Amino acid sequence: MVERIEDLNLPNAVIARLIKESLPDSASVSKEARGAIARAASVFAIFVTSSSTALAHKQNHKTITAKDILQTLAELDFESFVPSLTEDLEVYRKMVKDKKESKANKKDTSSSENANASSTAVAEEAIE
Amino acid sequence: MASEDLFENEFSEEQDLELQQAMETEAEEAGEAKESPEVIEETPENPPAESATEPVADKPLTNGTKPSADHDARMTQLPMARIRNIMKLDPDLHMANNEAVFTVAKAVELFIASLSRESYTYTAQSKKKTIQKRDVEMAISAVDSLMFLDGAMNF
Repeated sequence: MVERIEDLNLPNAVIARLIKESLPDSASVSKEARGAIARAASVFAIFVTSSSTALAHKQNHKTITAKDILQTLAELDFESFVPSLTEDLEVYRKMVKDKKESKANKKDTSSSENANASSTAVAEEAIE
Repeated sequence: MASEDLFENEFSEEQDLELQQAMETEAEEAGEAKESPEVIEETPENPPAESATEPVADKPLTNGTKPSADHDARMTQLPMARIRNIMKLDPDLHMANNEAVFTVAKAVELFIASLSRESYTYTAQSKKKTIQKRDVEMAISAVDSLMFLDGAMNF
């Protein structure tokens, strides 16, 4: 759980890098502007989450999935994000699957039963 | 999160605070599997000493769309744990799977990029190079889909 309020801020260095990457080389950002963008990013995350939660509730499922997030983004006028996110998600799924497989293979040597249970848990790992 | 604990003694790649050693090994595995070691950001110093790399090397080549895809930290620039904490602020949120957290993290990255570009149009209009807070505020009030930020920015 969150112990300090700073744990909810997004890391400054990463924010600065993301901003810089999106701008022409000659451009820079004032500290206040960077702070405003960082805050907007946190608010965006909360906004997307609560909208997805509402959507999931409407459809009577409890667990928020990537599909809910994508659908929410489209409804919130961020459909331009969806194609790129769908691609990233494919890559992410493959990565998780590969990890699971290599893990299962390793587990085989010790106890295969445990590995099956665990890898399912990895896929379904959820926020409490 | 409990499931991560199951692997704690097994292999460090699942841990949030991954060991440098594990990262190097993973990078090495990735290079072997994809036959493209030159695209790896951090060139590993040591070859993997364990036989544990074998299953990974058997992966089909199609898995290698991104050489950096071996770890969560490599796929999202923003830390997933932090995004997860922010999401948990929603009292109505019961559960969200890792894919959902990943998608939000990526969406926030895209959001930062698009808000920056939008803000910069106002910077450029006033013939400046440095984005000021005013530019960000103007971008927010000009774009309809950013309406949700109104009133959320002054605290």
